[in-house]
Amino acid sequence: MKDDLKKLYSAIIKEHSATPFHFEKPGKVKNTIKAYNPICGDRFEVYIGSDERMVNALYFHGYGCAISKASTSILVKTLEGKSRKEALELCDQFLRFINKELGSNEVMLSDDFLAFSGVHDFPERYDCVLLSWREMKKFLESGAVAKKTLRN
Amino acid sequence: MTLALKSLKSFFPIFSHRPELVYLDSAATSQKPQSVVRAITDFYEKENANVHRGLYELSTQATQRYEGVRNRVISLIGASNPKTIAFTKGATESINIVAHGYLKKNLKKGDNVLISAMEHHSNLIPWQQVCEETGATLEVIPVNEDGELVLKKLNTQLNHRTRLVAITHISNVLGTINPVEEVIAAAHKKNIPVLIDGAQSVGHYPIEIKKWDADFLVFSAHKMFGPLGTGVLYCKDEFAAQISPLNYGGGGIKNVELSNTVFLDYPHNLEAGTANIAGVIGLGAAIDFIQQLDMNETTRHTGELSTYFMEGLRSLGNGRRVGNPKNSGSIISFQIGSIHPHDVAGFLAGSNIAVRAGHHCAQPLLESMGVPATVRVSFSIYNTRDDVYKTIAGLVELKKFWS
Repeated sequence: MKDDLKKLYSAIIKEHSATPFHFEKPGKVKNTIKAYNPICGDRFEVYIGSDERMVNALYFHGYGCAISKASTSILVKTLEGKSRKEALELCDQFLRFINKELGSNEVMLSDDFLAFSGVHDFPERYDCVLLSWREMKKFLESGAVAKKTLRN
Repeated sequence: MTLALKSLKSFFPIFSHRPELVYLDSAATSQKPQSVVRAITDFYEKENANVHRGLYELSTQATQRYEGVRNRVISLIGASNPKTIAFTKGATESINIVAHGYLKKNLKKGDNVLISAMEHHSNLIPWQQVCEETGATLEVIPVNEDGELVLKKLNTQLNHRTRLVAITHISNVLGTINPVEEVIAAAHKKNIPVLIDGAQSVGHYPIEIKKWDADFLVFSAHKMFGPLGTGVLYCKDEFAAQISPLNYGGGGIKNVELSNTVFLDYPHNLEAGTANIAGVIGLGAAIDFIQQLDMNETTRHTGELSTYFMEGLRSLGNGRRVGNPKNSGSIISFQIGSIHPHDVAGFLAGSNIAVRAGHHCAQPLLESMGVPATVRVSFSIYNTRDDVYKTIAGLVELKKFWS
């Protein structure tokens, strides 16, 4: 097995794909984010139970490759309990890190994030890594739900 | 002269540039033999001129070569009249021409079009769209769990409101070879025309269009050792006059006045605009190449590779073919345990093995087979037992990695 492939499927990614974090549909769902890649058929739903403290009670379910599943699992684990502002900043950093706009020393990212640096040798897998992150960023940027919640 | 199968890899330049490549994605696009690449380069280097236009030798020559390929095509598909052959951009465009240039004007609310559940999106969406535009319905021949057409209700599905049947000869996902003759015979009893999608079969399996009595046949050059962007629409004489062009422009006309245009007859009316002349010449070279091979020998070869692959897949323990058609071409869809097809394909890519993963432009089929995606291997004449061996070895390593 080649080294670049070993790096892509790092221990962290293997673990998250085998035993994903909060991989279930919770009883109470306030918002559902749909992440779908029509090219490969990967399809995840990220469930947000509460969004006052942004992404409290974050869960996900669906079908996808090891990379997209692990990246969604890490999204859920990382953003859980963050404020919307913090969550948006993390999404933005992650996207820019994967897209090589930021180096690993320029971002405040955990080991979980950096585990995806292996994808830089596989541009055809960027969509797998970014699938749920892009949709989460769009959701956070839209801000509609948060404002409404605050006003109420 | 028949080319020997043993040395076929050497006819394809990509394998001398990339000796390590194991290419098992020929159902997506085949590799190109040197003779095809040469024919295209020669045209541009030595013979480039527009067709049907110039009164000089170069143009006359280009026209003769371009038109001559219609004869090469009929010899490949068992037709007899070169005027039944129109050149298109590919199978997809050919289907769209039949859907929009022929069928749509004959389709009314309450009519139906019959396809099968194993169609590639390109033999589904054009029909679905014309049905939507006209209020007709799209009827579907189901597929059983082995991945074969269920034809027991065919006679009821073909009714007095059916305006066309469109089915694939060989499934691009499951490899199933469909009994097209049987479907055509049943449809013709009720005077319903039939379109055959030959994208996966033409050039690889014997096509006897006259014997089958198919009304339309579509295929792409690039899946049969020819260039990209070139395809064919075969249309039986009796329908030729009923097909209107989708593109209008220079060429394709008899007379143009500001208020009126008289078009040429089929096939030239469909070929407005400057043709892909080099592409058509490349298609001709691809047919020459194919006809130097013994098709019995090549299908036996790819069939043996499929059998060898299936033995390896079974020996893994967690390998499963999706579908199990009795009559199968050299295309196999499979899954390895619960490992996602993209992770399988990505892993094999690490060993220079090119396979396809995903829904293969046939989402409804995969849904009916109960799988979201598969890994697909497709074998061609240049593949070897060593290619299969390396692939199975890669799958063994993959299994170990994920256990």
